[in-house]
Amino acid sequence: MPGVIAEAGRSRLSSSFLRSLKAWLLVLPLLAFIGVTFIVPLGSMLTRSVHAPVVADALPETLALLRSWDAAGLPGEAVYAAAAREIRTARETRTLGQVATRINRLKSGLRGVLSRTARQLRSIGPRPGDHEPERAGQPPDDATPWRDTLLGIDDAWGEADTWLAIRRAGERFTARHYLNALDLTQSVDGGVVAQPPELRIYLPLLGRTLLVSLAITVLCLVLGYPVAYLIAQAPPKRANLLLLLVLVPFWTSLLVRTTSWIVLLQSQGVVNDLLVAAGLLGDEDRLAMIYNMTGTMVAMTHVLLPFMVLPLYSVMRTIPPHYMRAATSLGGTFFQAFRRVYWPQTLPGVGAGSLLVFILAIGYYITPALVGGRTGQLISNMIAYHMQQSLNWGLAAALGGLLLVCVVALYLVFDRLVGVDRMRLG
Amino acid sequence: MSGKTVHVEFEGVNKSYDGRKLVVRDLNLRVEEGEFLTLLGPSGSGKTTCLMMLAGFEDPTGGVIRIFGDSVGKVPPRRRNIGMVFQNYALFPHLSVGENLAYPLEVRRIERAGVVERVRRALRLVRLEGFEGRRPGELSGGQQQRVAIARALVFEPRLVLMDEPLGALDRRLREEMQYEIRRIQRTLGVTVVYVTHDQQEAMAMSDRVAVFNRGRIEQVAPPEVLYEEPERGFVATFIGDNNLLFGRVLGVERDICEADTGTDVVKAFLVAPRGVGDRVTLAIRPERVALDPEPGRYSNEFEAQVDDIAFLGDHLRVRLTVCGSTDFVIKIANTVGHGAVLEDDRVRIGFTPLDCRALVPDEEREEG
Amino acid sequence: MGRLLHVAFCAAVFVFLVAPILVIVPLSFNAEPYFTFTDGMLRLDADAWSLRWYEAVAGDGEWRRALVNSLVIGVSATVLATVLGVLAALGLASPAMPGRAVVMSVVISPMVTPVIVAAAGMFFFYSSIGLAQTHLGLILAHAALGTPFVVITVTATLAGFNHDLTRAAASLGAGPWYAFRSVQLPLVLPGIVSGALFAFATSFDEVVTVLFMGGVEQRTVPREMWAGVREQISPAILAVATFLIAFALLLMGLVQWLRGRGSGSEPAARDAATA
Repeated sequence: MPGVIAEAGRSRLSSSFLRSLKAWLLVLPLLAFIGVTFIVPLGSMLTRSVHAPVVADALPETLALLRSWDAAGLPGEAVYAAAAREIRTARETRTLGQVATRINRLKSGLRGVLSRTARQLRSIGPRPGDHEPERAGQPPDDATPWRDTLLGIDDAWGEADTWLAIRRAGERFTARHYLNALDLTQSVDGGVVAQPPELRIYLPLLGRTLLVSLAITVLCLVLGYPVAYLIAQAPPKRANLLLLLVLVPFWTSLLVRTTSWIVLLQSQGVVNDLLVAAGLLGDEDRLAMIYNMTGTMVAMTHVLLPFMVLPLYSVMRTIPPHYMRAATSLGGTFFQAFRRVYWPQTLPGVGAGSLLVFILAIGYYITPALVGGRTGQLISNMIAYHMQQSLNWGLAAALGGLLLVCVVALYLVFDRLVGVDRMRLG
Repeated sequence: MSGKTVHVEFEGVNKSYDGRKLVVRDLNLRVEEGEFLTLLGPSGSGKTTCLMMLAGFEDPTGGVIRIFGDSVGKVPPRRRNIGMVFQNYALFPHLSVGENLAYPLEVRRIERAGVVERVRRALRLVRLEGFEGRRPGELSGGQQQRVAIARALVFEPRLVLMDEPLGALDRRLREEMQYEIRRIQRTLGVTVVYVTHDQQEAMAMSDRVAVFNRGRIEQVAPPEVLYEEPERGFVATFIGDNNLLFGRVLGVERDICEADTGTDVVKAFLVAPRGVGDRVTLAIRPERVALDPEPGRYSNEFEAQVDDIAFLGDHLRVRLTVCGSTDFVIKIANTVGHGAVLEDDRVRIGFTPLDCRALVPDEEREEG
Repeated sequence: MGRLLHVAFCAAVFVFLVAPILVIVPLSFNAEPYFTFTDGMLRLDADAWSLRWYEAVAGDGEWRRALVNSLVIGVSATVLATVLGVLAALGLASPAMPGRAVVMSVVISPMVTPVIVAAAGMFFFYSSIGLAQTHLGLILAHAALGTPFVVITVTATLAGFNHDLTRAAASLGAGPWYAFRSVQLPLVLPGIVSGALFAFATSFDEVVTVLFMGGVEQRTVPREMWAGVREQISPAILAVATFLIAFALLLMGLVQWLRGRGSGSEPAARDAATA
């Protein structure tokens, strides 16, 4: 018998191996495609969020020499010589501005020091000792012409903090963007401290994003649950018709829907006009319903509601009506029966819909950008701002990384609760 | 049973899906040309796997399958020229009945006129003349079943496999279709290998039945032989009802042994050679037990206690405690004067040693 | 009473869902450059209604170019996403597929990743390989965003497919390719087309990657709308919006119709597709 079984193992291996190979070959092109067009870009963003090559590329030799500096006294003459040469080169290749900005973040005032130094170094020329020809060939060991020169340009070159700042700014990989994105800063000596409350931007924004997403999720659930219930209870023909009403916004372009809300809610818009015409509002007290958080919430709830209704409906449809009948026949009120019998059975749908809406909400960009005004912006809008206007790509990437972590965590929960391969569309 | 060509042959066939557990073990079976053979067994007993191996959808892990003497190990299903009827019909829903039937003919590049003629003939055979234009979705279950049979026959295969084809039908339709399938099979003279878990269906339709249990064939025989001469306890209880008693052999005289059930000594017909002290399973059909017989008429006569009586129309089912068994059932035909039996009565029962078959206990073979 | 309240509440929600979209349609026929109903419109004065914004859009070279861009990028991305997605769905439907959950997660990831994050990453990477500000770059980006829809829809259709049909075809003498073409393909085709329409709708509506990666030459219809809403808001936008609504209704109708034709006699498939 063992022989038979061993034989069984071999034969199974070959045929099932071929079948899974075939399945893999079918999946492989898409995996490769997603990998190159999507995963690698995400990877490049994450790399950028921790990668800070500007200073390291501009001052390689200075940094290499600084690495062996004990940070107690001042660095040696070789460091000063290298720094002077590389600062001059950076100015010539027009990278000095970026380098100075980076270093300035760690110790303010250094931007001015660097540009002043570069300017004056140009007039001095490649070798500070050149005006003393007799010492040109072999300077004595204790001669420090570059240190003297730099100290002559600015006292800051005589402070250990300056060099510490340069060394820290020269690290090729940095948590700086993430610290920044979490409203933390790193002092020159490497300690991490929270920004003073008035300078905190991103944590409050992240908090607001999560809060707004939660509020929108709750709104969608409150609006969507009765609707899904109505559709699930309706006879098939009417249910299909009602589903279509839910699907219309699902299919309509996001920009169209956002435009609609602008048209409806702006101060000269349809809703305000109606209210004024009805005499409920004076012409000068028109409500500000758009270009603020209200606009963001209303428009996003509208956009995301179908994503709540559809999963709820697909769960409710599978709940046989006789459970509720049995529960009410046992003598409970409708609400008791609902709470104890129906609601628990819809929890998978509630979970799926809520997670889906929440995941989509925290990453939303277009709607808040168009109708959010100044107060209705979310974390995505800050990413876009740093991508397109401040051009602080490292920070944009770090914020993106944080957002991605949130979404991936929620996605894993979703997968656990619902299973991605059971996801259905409209 | 001899002299005919062997159409299908399984020789030492094993099958495992996971490389560890064998779902079919050392299977040997021959099907003769024109025979209607049923693979009968509970679900998971390996019968469907056998059918799938024969059709070519599964490869045997070991052993050889031959069709007309040729090993079909490497022959793909489409080249085996076997008609197959699936559990849920597997009619192509996007094709009309006519197109479904024409499918195997078009694959075989039969010219147009021939296709039309053959489709018409096949539909006449299953009594669905004029249904060519309908879609499968528009037909009743029974009609779909007939179309599925017609499609499996239209290309004139000499071997047709049927995998629980009547499982989805209600009882009356099922009985009608049993008759239909049998009629068609006799008309065409094709070999049929039929899979079912319904023993009545197997009895009603088959020339021979192979009873499967846990990946093995327990017995292959014509229905009446399976019923009258089961060789194993599993067969004895799976085909029809049977009472099983367990005992040890006290003595043997030619084909008859005496077995001690712990409370009584029963005389039984020995199916397999057993020696003194061996354990045996005794099988007695409920309808072969007489209630209150004339004393001395049967060599097996026992006192029994009536525990329960159920009235089942044409017969009464009486449940007794006797010979160490508490669920010994006898059937009494509902004829004039069947006698008044009451619960808790003490009664006498009797049966002949020939109706009491002493079998090798099933556990013993499992160990071997 | 409770029931009446429930129905009234739901009616209000349905109004909330649909009315904002419908309101745009009559406003797009406004003769005046306003975003609200003029007195003339309310009086059904013929002069207050006009097609001027439609004419303005039709006569505008930028909108025409945007439409061409949207169609070129949308169709190319859809073809790419559909071919890759269908192949992958066939592989994923095989019971022999190892590591299916992981593969599915990767394949679905473009759908759940916030677009802003995806667009930022694509901007960094596509710029570094010279694909930013090209049609090809946007086609690849949109195809990546569209594939999950194809995979999900086709996988659902395949899950409802009765594999006995393929076996039946084989037992009737059909080779694997013929069986696929004559049996499986016609039955899953509605699912494939639905998935393709989803992918096309995704691309046709996508604006963030276009904002980040597209140059002037790659402006699409939603990109122009974005500019219109943000910069010089004009009722011409409403004309375009009305056109897009009609287009969305057409796509939706097509998908619903295909659903009705899905996988034939297999009720499981129909369930899966409507859920």
